[in-house]
Amino acid sequence: MAIEDDKYILQVEGLYVNYGNFVAVNNVKFEVLKGEIFGLLGPNGAGKTSTLSAIEGLLKFKTGTIIVDGQDVQKKPLHARASMGVQLQSTSFQPELNVVQILQLFSGIYGVPMSKDQIKGVLKDINLEDAATKKFGQLSGGQQQRVSLVIATIHNPRLVLLDEPTTGLDPQSRRQLWERIEAIREKGHAVLLTTHSMEEAEAVCDRIAIIDHGRVIAIDTPQSLIDKHRDEPEVIAVSRRGKVTLEDVFIALTGSAVRA
Amino acid sequence: METVIPKTSTVFITLLRADVATLFSNRRSVIISLLVPVIILISWKGMIPQMGGPFALSTAITIGLMAIGLMGYTISISRDRDKGIFQRLRVAPVPGWAIMASRISIQLVMIMILTLLVFIVGFEYDKITLSAQGYLLTFAVAILGGAVYLSLGQLIVGMIKNPETVNATTRLTYFLFIMVGMFGELGALGPQVKQGVHWSPYGSVKLMLAASMEPVKWNNETTTTVLVSLGYVIIFAGIGIKNFKWNTK
Repeated sequence: MAIEDDKYILQVEGLYVNYGNFVAVNNVKFEVLKGEIFGLLGPNGAGKTSTLSAIEGLLKFKTGTIIVDGQDVQKKPLHARASMGVQLQSTSFQPELNVVQILQLFSGIYGVPMSKDQIKGVLKDINLEDAATKKFGQLSGGQQQRVSLVIATIHNPRLVLLDEPTTGLDPQSRRQLWERIEAIREKGHAVLLTTHSMEEAEAVCDRIAIIDHGRVIAIDTPQSLIDKHRDEPEVIAVSRRGKVTLEDVFIALTGSAVRA
Repeated sequence: METVIPKTSTVFITLLRADVATLFSNRRSVIISLLVPVIILISWKGMIPQMGGPFALSTAITIGLMAIGLMGYTISISRDRDKGIFQRLRVAPVPGWAIMASRISIQLVMIMILTLLVFIVGFEYDKITLSAQGYLLTFAVAILGGAVYLSLGQLIVGMIKNPETVNATTRLTYFLFIMVGMFGELGALGPQVKQGVHWSPYGSVKLMLAASMEPVKWNNETTTTVLVSLGYVIIFAGIGIKNFKWNTK
């Protein structure tokens, strides 16, 4: 793998993750370009979160290489993590801390300590100035997402990882989050997100990878994937109202059976 | 552009600040850790002339140390692991040891506060005084005693993942140490239990503390007790750290 290749912010190659006899991720390979919004799609248990956890350094893998901004996540984990901003699927902070204290904690551990006034400015930007002294658990789902996203980007990372960021959000909050994700890209940063929403993938992702049974089975722009597969009988069979969507392609590629 | 990782000292101070805020927001746990030893000192006032000041003070500190190690440290680690708080910290450029060192540092501060409080109450209410050397040595030995219970807590969170089971186990252990320890060392449960309690984490910590309050009485048995306590720390912490998982999945 060309570590010096400066086109990519993230390179995953030959990634293999197993839990005992169960192979969660099998020889996964993909790259994320600088300034790109890349979606990782797949049914439940397909290997999305395991792949993301390996990139985040939360799980060790024996085979494969992951390079974040030129840093190998296993050889230089702290350097790799310093280049990333992460929003986990279910974010939890110490319930005793208020929003200002949480932001002080994370700005400090990312090496960009902020004063209370600076934090109030940040909260004003996300319309949460009244929530400064509230505990994280007292915020609504949308407000929690906004705080989590601010924390994920507090150190101006070159790669932002978002694990199912819009789950449980109402349409207004979801649209607002999409705008924030696009704003991250406009600043020149790349975003890797996982989602179950094909609408979201079509709306915000420049390219997507569909992962199933631990393998990447398709990778392209949403429109190219639709164009490439629109005439396949499996896609036509699952399409509704005569229009082929990304969801039709996704179901045709991964099967109609409901996953556990 | 070169990636800059934050300075470890900045990261550690930030974690420490957050852990202090968390600890003092958790008033119930702090009060339990400090109140029980104070109640023992107050309620034993009439018996102190017979049993001696060091016996009362060492019992109070030992029970406080157990509360700090078992109830404070263990339950907070178990809760934060279950809620994914550690996972959120670990995706930041934070070494795992810094997260734990911050938590342990907070407990060491609690041990100092507990020891000081016991000395103050012992002096003010029971008129117990020690030599300057005795006070200083007791502070040092309290840290070793605290380490025994912190490492026991680490053993529990290393071996048990479920936070409810951890909660029940720590409470049961705390209760057993108090009941069996206090009654056993007085011989109320028979000579074999008395001997067992003597070398148990309860007995060895208490004996060490009592001896440190009267340094002139320090003897070979006390030194052996210190070594036994160190052995407990090494074994409990070794197994606890080796088996510790940062998440419950």
